Amino acid sequence: MPEIMICMNDLKKTYTSMGDEVQALRGVSLDIYKGESLAVMGHSGSGKSTLLSILGGLNPPTSGTIEIDSIDLYALSQEKRADFRREYLGFVFQQFQLIPYLTAIENVMLPLTTTSNSNKVKREMAEGVLCRVGLAGKMNRLPNQLSGGEQERVAIARAIVNEPPVVLADEPTGSLDTKTGDEIMELFQELNQEGLTVLMVTHNPDNTRYMGRTILMKDGQLCTDKAEILQLVSGKKR
Amino acid sequence: MQLYHIAINNLRRRKAKMLFVLVGLVIGVATMVSVYGVVETMKTEMTRQVAEFGANVVITPDAGELTFSYGGITLPEVMFDVERLTMDDVAAIASVPSRNMIRAVAPKLLGLASLETGQNLIVVGSNLQQEFMVKPWLRLRDAQEMAETGRRTMVTSDGQEMEFERLDLARQDFEQLSLKDNEILLGSTLAANLGIMEGDRLTLSGQGFHVFGVLKDSGSSEDEQILMNLGAAQAFLGRPHEVTVIELAADYTLGSEDALIAQLRQALPRAEVTSLRQEALRRDEMLTRLSRFGMSVSVLILFVGMLVVGLTMSGAVRERTREIGVFRAIGFRKSHVTKIILMEGAFVSVLGGIIGYIAGTSAARLAGPVLAGMEISVPWRFDLFALAVLLAVVIGLAASIIPARQAARLDPAEALRFI
Repeated sequence: MPEIMICMNDLKKTYTSMGDEVQALRGVSLDIYKGESLAVMGHSGSGKSTLLSILGGLNPPTSGTIEIDSIDLYALSQEKRADFRREYLGFVFQQFQLIPYLTAIENVMLPLTTTSNSNKVKREMAEGVLCRVGLAGKMNRLPNQLSGGEQERVAIARAIVNEPPVVLADEPTGSLDTKTGDEIMELFQELNQEGLTVLMVTHNPDNTRYMGRTILMKDGQLCTDKAEILQLVSGKKR
Repeated sequence: MQLYHIAINNLRRRKAKMLFVLVGLVIGVATMVSVYGVVETMKTEMTRQVAEFGANVVITPDAGELTFSYGGITLPEVMFDVERLTMDDVAAIASVPSRNMIRAVAPKLLGLASLETGQNLIVVGSNLQQEFMVKPWLRLRDAQEMAETGRRTMVTSDGQEMEFERLDLARQDFEQLSLKDNEILLGSTLAANLGIMEGDRLTLSGQGFHVFGVLKDSGSSEDEQILMNLGAAQAFLGRPHEVTVIELAADYTLGSEDALIAQLRQALPRAEVTSLRQEALRRDEMLTRLSRFGMSVSVLILFVGMLVVGLTMSGAVRERTREIGVFRAIGFRKSHVTKIILMEGAFVSVLGGIIGYIAGTSAARLAGPVLAGMEISVPWRFDLFALAVLLAVVIGLAASIIPARQAARLDPAEALRFI
């Protein structure tokens, strides 16, 4: 029986907008196992991004609990949660979200900035992951000197440089062409095969081919209708 | 990679904004430095002038309530016996430990003498060489004025008569002149009123004196006085050994003013010892007003500079919302974000302080003499430099506190809108 990495229990999230209450999550319970890769699909407003932000320790749920590696995420103080994110989670944001005035290697070193490692060790770690994602020769370029695919690789390198057990990705191929998107998904697949737990929010059914499991969000809940899921991911390689 | 790398790189990227902040700080600091520099230099220059030229310490008898004024110096009423200074007091001055600071000791005796017409005149007995050192504005009427009177000879200290045209009346010669006990110098106004010229004879209280020379118009109390040797005056006035006031010229560049004054007070317990340097500075209202006005303007400009820094930094934080969201998402604590913003403020401030000091001092050096109406040279001062940088950093940091808190309080989820 694989070890549970992430355990979500009856997560609910309600937003108040202009006096109206919007229920973004209506009781989501889900276990994600160590080394698993999971795609979260769903239409806009289905609650998948809310789920990801709660999972990332950035957005407290209205009720319910979430444990990562048996640590109750929202029992931690805000600052401890920041430390937790640094150690346990890697983020790959939509639109890469690289810092425009830092070079590729400096962007990758960002999560290491607040650690006690020496500058030399930080640089070596960053160089290592940049080589791993195929950017050995472009470390000192600024983001605007890199292609979209290369920027995505820098973003992935930044997410894994501190060797977190879990990587959360939000539409990582959303702004890439198909070929580059496939390359990025292959990279995620490789990282997963190396033991990383990957959770990815995506609109693109093709991406589910590279993920071990796919769940569907609908109206703030997990969709259990297998036919609907199969329809959504039709064309996925078996 | 450290937090300061992020701060420095951001500053380098946002050059225009940071330049704006920098200019705000530079103007504020430069204004303060230039005003402070000019005023301080003026004060120093005035102190130097007071120390270098003329008397800056006055010793008078302990007066009680009975006083009158002589040339702006408060003196005990001559007609009343309160306390008297004597030649022993003059000798006591030479015994103080800081005597090397004293360039000249000018004791004098003041008294009244009457003309045959019954008119009373002020007679001042003094040691002329010392007197001329503490009153550098005193001059004899020059050769042309003298020539107009038809007098062409003059008697020097060795008793020789010489052609007046050959005598150079530069200060050093003037200070070497000495009078015989029956010779006097007359103030210009007095000489004019009495219709007396060089070489004339004047009878004072029944005693005849030879008018050796007439002083040039100086606008001071000497214009209406009769000067003679101290010893002669003591004998003439029947007050042997007595002096009314002792003026000192002290060089404050050689030691502490406070120490000298304290030593003099100790050596002369029955006398009033007054330092004129502080008096002179206090009297200079223009300086005080300029200083107050300048400082008020500087504080105002600094306040505006602070607002510029604060608003610009705050705007920059708003622009960087997503970036700060990324920092927080990848594990930066609030304190880390705060530090980045404060570091940026501090870096710009240090630079602003340095440039502000250089600009302010340069401006003071160029405009100072014109502004002050004095020949001053504003120096490059390390203490002022350190103060300028410190001031800039305090202002920069104070102005960055709100933007830094604003940045730290950003909700990362909201900042990133999605994740």
